[in-house]
Amino acid sequence: MKRNHIITSDVTGKAKKTMWDEEDAGVDELLAVLGYKVKSSDMVDVAQKIEHLEGVLGNDDGLSLLASDSVHYNPSDLSSWLESMISELNPTTQPPIIDDSFMNIANTAIAAGNPPPSEVDSTSAFVDDLQAIPGNAIYPPTKKVKSSSSSAGASASSSYNPNPNPNPVVIVDSQENGIRLVHTLMACAEAVQQENLALAENLVKQAGMLAVSQAGAMRKVATYFVEALARRIYRLSPKPPQDSPAFQDLLQMHFYETCPYLKFAHFTANQAILEAFAGKKKVHVIDFSMKQGMQWPALMQALALRPGGPPTFRLTGIGPPSGDNTDHLQEVGWKLAQLADTIHVEFEYRGFVAESLADLEPAMLDLREDEVVAVNSVFELHQLLARPGAVEKVLSAVKEMKPEILTVVEQEANHNGLVFLERFTESLHYYSTLFDSLESSGNGGGGVDGGAISPASNQDKIMSEVYLGKQICNVVACEGPDRVERHETLTQWKSRLDSAGFEAVHLGSNAFKQASMLLALFAGGDGYRVEENNGCLMLGWHTRSLITTSAWKIR
Amino acid sequence: MLQIVDINGDLERETKKLEQNFCINDHVDLLIEVLQRLDGRSLAAAACVCRQWCSIVRNDSLWEHLCFGNVSPPPSIGIRSVVLALGGYRRLYMVCVRPVASQLKRRRIDGGESEVVRRVWNRHEVELSLSLFCVEYYERLLGGGGVVGGESRATSLKFLCKAVNVSI
Repeated sequence: MKRNHIITSDVTGKAKKTMWDEEDAGVDELLAVLGYKVKSSDMVDVAQKIEHLEGVLGNDDGLSLLASDSVHYNPSDLSSWLESMISELNPTTQPPIIDDSFMNIANTAIAAGNPPPSEVDSTSAFVDDLQAIPGNAIYPPTKKVKSSSSSAGASASSSYNPNPNPNPVVIVDSQENGIRLVHTLMACAEAVQQENLALAENLVKQAGMLAVSQAGAMRKVATYFVEALARRIYRLSPKPPQDSPAFQDLLQMHFYETCPYLKFAHFTANQAILEAFAGKKKVHVIDFSMKQGMQWPALMQALALRPGGPPTFRLTGIGPPSGDNTDHLQEVGWKLAQLADTIHVEFEYRGFVAESLADLEPAMLDLREDEVVAVNSVFELHQLLARPGAVEKVLSAVKEMKPEILTVVEQEANHNGLVFLERFTESLHYYSTLFDSLESSGNGGGGVDGGAISPASNQDKIMSEVYLGKQICNVVACEGPDRVERHETLTQWKSRLDSAGFEAVHLGSNAFKQASMLLALFAGGDGYRVEENNGCLMLGWHTRSLITTSAWKIR
Repeated sequence: MLQIVDINGDLERETKKLEQNFCINDHVDLLIEVLQRLDGRSLAAAACVCRQWCSIVRNDSLWEHLCFGNVSPPPSIGIRSVVLALGGYRRLYMVCVRPVASQLKRRRIDGGESEVVRRVWNRHEVELSLSLFCVEYYERLLGGGGVVGGESRATSLKFLCKAVNVSI
């Protein structure tokens, strides 16, 4: 490196310098000629750091790219630029996160061979990090610099390290392994698509081995996808074993606790329902997604406190049959009734067991004349797409109920494409982002004593991951009526609901504010984003929208 | 001259008499006025002073003032009955208000100032805290039934209680 050469040659010249008493006291003259304002007193420091850097660069061939294509940002601040360069290469500092979540996840693996440290600053965009180098970036960071810098992070951490790092040299490869893993998964999916099962089998085994070498979110996502692919290839079970609804509810509860998605869904839907119920004396909510009834306490409390006093609140909960003999829906109803009694809201409850929403007839619901109806569906409608005609039937049933408002919360992704490979790619991106956010909410939360996570919250996280893993399995391994996780985007739902005779109701600023505030409460809340899209609210992780709440009324 | 000296002397004697006879514990209304201006932590410390102070501090109205004394616009009357039914203001403060306030403050002022004692709450924050409080109550109800694995501690508010690494 040209620069390197000049500097080292100048270290020897330092002795001569001190004789000269210049007005820019001690600025190295030779460097100043080139435009670097470095104090001679700093020179030793700088030289040492350059030697460090050279050692680091010299140890790995992949970094020759960096050496020749280095982009220098501020010629007058050489020392601190080196400092930041070296600290970037130091494994105890978190390497910057890139937009591409796979590279990102692979990077977090580098910092330790273990679960990522608690100071994961998943919020800093890579660009911010570069600009942190003193002096403004003269050249905008290019893609090449990004990847070479991150690979610098990877390889350097093992080859040169001021702090003794017990991690084995295999870390050097984990970055490449990450990329290889993604490619293998994609290739496997393609092979499955082309019915080349022998090749697919090979690839899935490879992917499995690569997945184990990763860490953190990447490892978990990859493991679930590998499992799902394996199920598909070997057709392990014609139908994956059905879990009892109680177990599914339990998983969803843990998911509710760990991350804000469900809370966001509930709070925004409640806000829409509350506004629709303004001024009405008798209200009736029909809930397609009863589960544990976690959505309704907050609504009841808001109704109890509204000016003018609470209305008579009637709730009809619809859920799948529970495997054992317990009447799960009724139990939930009792608890809600207890709560309603405590806060003095007149409450009436009815539970309906239905194998599928399409079996529902409005006549069964005992709709009364003077009541205002709201229909609520959280992550339920997409399951109807597995059977042709089901969703249209349900929507027309909803119209018969004459609701004041229909609130729909759905995942924001297209996992229902006709081509398997498309679905696979989409879902890989989607669930990687989801697992990413899970990872940060777990770590950011437990960060009091240097990243130790309490066993309870760890269990929560694991259960949430299992919950998501089952979805992954369904999307990838199942087909036909078994594949119920048929997520579709807002645009697709919009056109469906439009053609069914509904029009969108804007969710309003109250919902937005409440949602933003709710997210601010979550550790790792910086990563979550609430966006408004044509009156619908979307919650996403960084730039990727993950779930959407929308409200509809009959045209 | 003599008279003035006399008055001064009288004054001194009077104040000394007052000081000997004055005890804040005899004037509970004054004590409450003072306690109303404390933050949560100090209130809790005050409860440890003596039995009388403990019983005064446990009075929910002090905590009500702490939670919502600074709400603009002032909270509606119905809130009190709901909060009392769901567990009282002291619990509300402990479970919701304090973590919410500290989290929100942390988000707003990234400089990390010393613990903000009082701030003006707006309507949305009040609503959010109350909703979370209600959810927590419901979870305790559910938990009692052993549905959520028998955990007696409400779990959905764990995300609030997870301490934030303030040193960042």
